[in-house]
Amino acid sequence: MTGDAAIILIVEDEPPIRRLLRTTLGAHDYRVLEASTGAEALAALRHHRPDLVLLDLGLPDIDGLALIGQIRAVGPVPIVVLSSRGDETAKVTALDSGADDYVTKPFGADELLARLRVALRHRLQEQGAERLFTSDDLSVDLVRRLVRRGPEDVKLSPKEYDILEQLVIHAGKVLTHKHLLREVWRNETVDPQYLRVYVRQLRQKVEADPSAPRHVLTEPGIGYRLV
Amino acid sequence: MKPLSLAPLIRLVLPFAEAAVVTLLAALGGRVIADHFDVPNVSLVFLIPVLAAAVRHGFAASLCAATLSVLSFDYFFLPPLYRLTISDPADVTALFFLVIVALVTSALAARAHAEALAAARRARTLSTLHDLSNAIAGVLDLDALLDAAGRRMAQALNAEVVFLMPDNGALAARAAIPSGVRLEPADLAAAQRSWTYGGRAGGVNDPTTPSRRWFVPMHTGRSDVGVVGVLLTEAPDGLSAPDRDLFQAMASQVAVAIERVALATDIDKARLGAERERLRSAMLTSVSHDLRTPLASIVGVLSSLRSHRDRYDDAARQELLTTALGEAERLDRFVGNLLDMTRLDAGVIVPHRESVDVGDLVSTTLRRAAPLVRGRVVSSAVAPDLPMLHIDFVLAEQMLFNLLDNAVKYSPADGLIEVEARSVGDRIEIVVRDEGGGIAPAALERLFDKFYRADEGDRRRAGTGLGLAIAKGFVEVEGGSIMARNRTDRGGAEFIVSYRTAP
Repeated sequence: MTGDAAIILIVEDEPPIRRLLRTTLGAHDYRVLEASTGAEALAALRHHRPDLVLLDLGLPDIDGLALIGQIRAVGPVPIVVLSSRGDETAKVTALDSGADDYVTKPFGADELLARLRVALRHRLQEQGAERLFTSDDLSVDLVRRLVRRGPEDVKLSPKEYDILEQLVIHAGKVLTHKHLLREVWRNETVDPQYLRVYVRQLRQKVEADPSAPRHVLTEPGIGYRLV
Repeated sequence: MKPLSLAPLIRLVLPFAEAAVVTLLAALGGRVIADHFDVPNVSLVFLIPVLAAAVRHGFAASLCAATLSVLSFDYFFLPPLYRLTISDPADVTALFFLVIVALVTSALAARAHAEALAAARRARTLSTLHDLSNAIAGVLDLDALLDAAGRRMAQALNAEVVFLMPDNGALAARAAIPSGVRLEPADLAAAQRSWTYGGRAGGVNDPTTPSRRWFVPMHTGRSDVGVVGVLLTEAPDGLSAPDRDLFQAMASQVAVAIERVALATDIDKARLGAERERLRSAMLTSVSHDLRTPLASIVGVLSSLRSHRDRYDDAARQELLTTALGEAERLDRFVGNLLDMTRLDAGVIVPHRESVDVGDLVSTTLRRAAPLVRGRVVSSAVAPDLPMLHIDFVLAEQMLFNLLDNAVKYSPADGLIEVEARSVGDRIEIVVRDEGGGIAPAALERLFDKFYRADEGDRRRAGTGLGLAIAKGFVEVEGGSIMARNRTDRGGAEFIVSYRTAP
């Protein structure tokens, strides 16, 4: 399996964090490349074609957001951003300019690995996406447009279904408000209040306890995530 | 312009003209009386113009009236009539006595006149000083004080007024009436000299530092506070002696007021300094304790595992690591709190407002707080169909998280924690209740103060003393309010956060 191991490019200027990431990812059978500057990152990207980029937003030589644009210009490699707490605006901007997900420092290994798995899975999905989502009591079949909670079919309004469809396509990944408005309403300038109203209705139908959702999760200040 | 320039001349001549006319009328009147009645001492009629001039215009005018009276008496009454000569030597005596009487009378009357004038001036001075002291009493702001005092002085002296005060060692203009007065180098030199030697300086005739403005120092018994200068609008040559005294008296009064303002400011500063000192030491205690305690266990766990890994079985290792991780997370929360507090203090928090579903806010916060409230029973009751709030989700979530954190810390492990959201008028209230010991009356006031920790004795480790201060800051930055009180239905505290609903 080592030949098939995913290659992850770590772009991080702090040596202790780099060492931690190298050790953690190595122990989970990823192959690891390291870069401490934006320039090194772009060079590694061109030469080694990594499967995923783990990018710290606070690099010394280049603005992390600008680097996302440059990485996107090279290819569609998934990008997971490392950022600090209280920096929601930067996270949203990173996500809206092409990053796939984010992990907030300090992060636990489980959370980091979960994000990486999801981002790598979506890389595979784009080459022949699965249209099924199952998690605990919730299952969604996008091909047959079927939503079930436990044994029962759930009837959704078109907008509710469209939102759920987006969440399923990007299951496990955070979706920004802007992304959902663009894909569901085809208009980013729609009042996000409608989005909250529909998400509230969606939760009433797909969550066993809508007051403690377990599938459609809110990422404060950023968007939603389906798990 | 012509009538204006004539005015001083007329003012100068008028008393004398008046004296002359009155004397002439008296002479003619006397002549008529002498022609029709047999009056022995008709010369007494001349006391009228002398007294009138003395009372109305002072000594010079009365002297003029006296001279004219003597001449008129000779001319109209002493033979040969209508000539300024005397034929009867006895009449010389009469004339001599008239001169004496006229002179004495004018001197006495003139002194009375001068005293009346001086009394009026004293009254005016007193009333001016009284007005000034009323105007600046109780003013605690230096700029307002100088403005009020400057206006009174400008009005009383009919002058431009400028205050100069030391600023970083150099004397500089601090306020002026009218504003925008420009000082010339000569003015500054005069002001500087007045400041340095502590006396009056300036005026066009000042031999050392001639200047169009006059300056007097403002000093009190305790200190020198500055210099005040005037430029007379109408009499550029100088101040009259009484105005000079008035000027000096006003300057002294302003000096006392300035000193009072400075003292009040000093006291405020001292109070503020003491408060800052208290916060600094509370912060140092908190930082050193709250950073060191978790670090101590993290360093302890890591070093034991590195050096004596084989001495621990799997279960012990797992326990050590769980402890270290928990402490690291606590450390992270504390650093987060410090950062939030710093951002609040710096006033750099701009709420990123969006429509917020209160149920979503509560459930998301409870989800993040799950590790914190592990093992505790938390119930949430959110009224259905609450209107959306227009607030910053991230700030609100941290606020609610801190309230939950507080409830966990200050209530027993088997106590129920309740979160309730309800609509009250045009507001939405979020209430967090616990079943702890409640809040001591003394603590109610200081609960939201930075670094305040309710005294829990040795029973448990208190929090960082920042959570509630941050919660309050985050609520208020949204225009909401927060209050704490003891529950009435049972023991425990409740925190009530209130936000206005989106319009």
